[in-house]
Amino acid sequence: MLNGLPDRFLPYDEAGQPQVPIAGYPNTVRRHPSRPLFRRPVTRTELTGPLDLAGKLLPGDSNLAVSRDGHAALGQLVHISGRVLDEDGRPVRNAIVEIWQANAAGRYFNPLDQRDAPLDPNFVGNGRALTGEEGEYAFFTIRPGAYPVPNSGRWWRPPHVHFSILGPGSLSRLVTQMYFPGDPLNAHDRLLNSLPDPAARERLVAREVPTEEVEGEWLAYRHRFVLRGRHATPGEA
Amino acid sequence: MSIETSRPNEPLAAMGWHTIGPFFPRTFFKEGDNDLTRLHPAAEPTARGERIILHGRVLEDGGGPCVNAVLEAWQADAGGRFRHPLDPGHAQADPDFLGWGRAWTDETGHFEFHTVMPGGFPDAAGSRAPHVNLAILGSGIMRRLVTTVFFPGFAAANASDPVLLALPEDGLRQRLVAAEDGEQGGVRRFRFDLLLRGTPEEETPFFVD
Repeated sequence: MLNGLPDRFLPYDEAGQPQVPIAGYPNTVRRHPSRPLFRRPVTRTELTGPLDLAGKLLPGDSNLAVSRDGHAALGQLVHISGRVLDEDGRPVRNAIVEIWQANAAGRYFNPLDQRDAPLDPNFVGNGRALTGEEGEYAFFTIRPGAYPVPNSGRWWRPPHVHFSILGPGSLSRLVTQMYFPGDPLNAHDRLLNSLPDPAARERLVAREVPTEEVEGEWLAYRHRFVLRGRHATPGEA
Repeated sequence: MSIETSRPNEPLAAMGWHTIGPFFPRTFFKEGDNDLTRLHPAAEPTARGERIILHGRVLEDGGGPCVNAVLEAWQADAGGRFRHPLDPGHAQADPDFLGWGRAWTDETGHFEFHTVMPGGFPDAAGSRAPHVNLAILGSGIMRRLVTTVFFPGFAAANASDPVLLALPEDGLRQRLVAAEDGEQGGVRRFRFDLLLRGTPEEETPFFVD
């Protein structure tokens, strides 16, 4: 009757969530409430959410590696795919998945990124897709470059892809970043390290698919997302 | 392509949040994203309910504008229903009302939503007054901030709303009630400013997500 939608939202495990402030990132202070957050009852407004956003947030832009007029972006071609699940391991269908990232030189196609690194005219670096019946999603893109954070004491962001996922309830919303396995900058990244639990940090790092298993001439990564939400009735499909 | 297997009810840990950072793509935003009254930009707006504008500014510590913040709004329709199976009355929900919108703040921290006055509804936790849930994303906001906007003119309903009553002081509750702000083309405007960090007398109350 609930169409497999989760109806229980347990509190987050704090050890698996970012802790602030973060050194060299003053916005984690001036945009963070000074008071502890207030507890509220979870009512219908929080449990529900829009189920039909695809008319508004149009999907269909899942290949970032080629420009609109057919030119290849500079950089290492990569394929990122995986599934979106809830905390019971069930697929989340029809979730909106938005991604954005820097180009191969570590610069964003965004007027606010004024760093002195080249823009790639063939790379805008954002896309949007809808998950399928098994919660699956996939994007072609290029591996983003690392970049230094201004005025931060030589803090370099490792290559990362931003993900914004809208699930079937207001509480099943997730905004996070995906990291690439084996990058030496990962161990030093202040955002990744703001998650106290090492296992939680590891869950933000994608898995590299062995090249012999990849179907074409690109590097492939698998990455699973787990949105908040459980089901009150075990076994309900 | 192989898909990792997972068993239903195998407990998995909800993933860690991160900030949207400073470069959330402006190209994601389309005309009408901040309009909750239509299912999609080409659809007709709903004919039910009183159209209203909800607007305000997002400010950071010191009172400066929080530029490029993203706000996401979600609310019931004019009859207090959601088109979602977890609402027992969802079959009667307004089929032409989306109830969700997204806006980003300009260089003054200003945002604006076009919607209808939401209806209140009974809930297991208590009777809900008309309200709009807001989530705020932004650079440095490592996990979204969530709060709820209430409306003047519903004093009795506000006084018994279980979410407003979750705040320990009346001064905090007053801060979640939008201010009447005139009319624009016959549409009532309501103003709701958010101060993400400030003195205890000024800071906007936010809830555990």
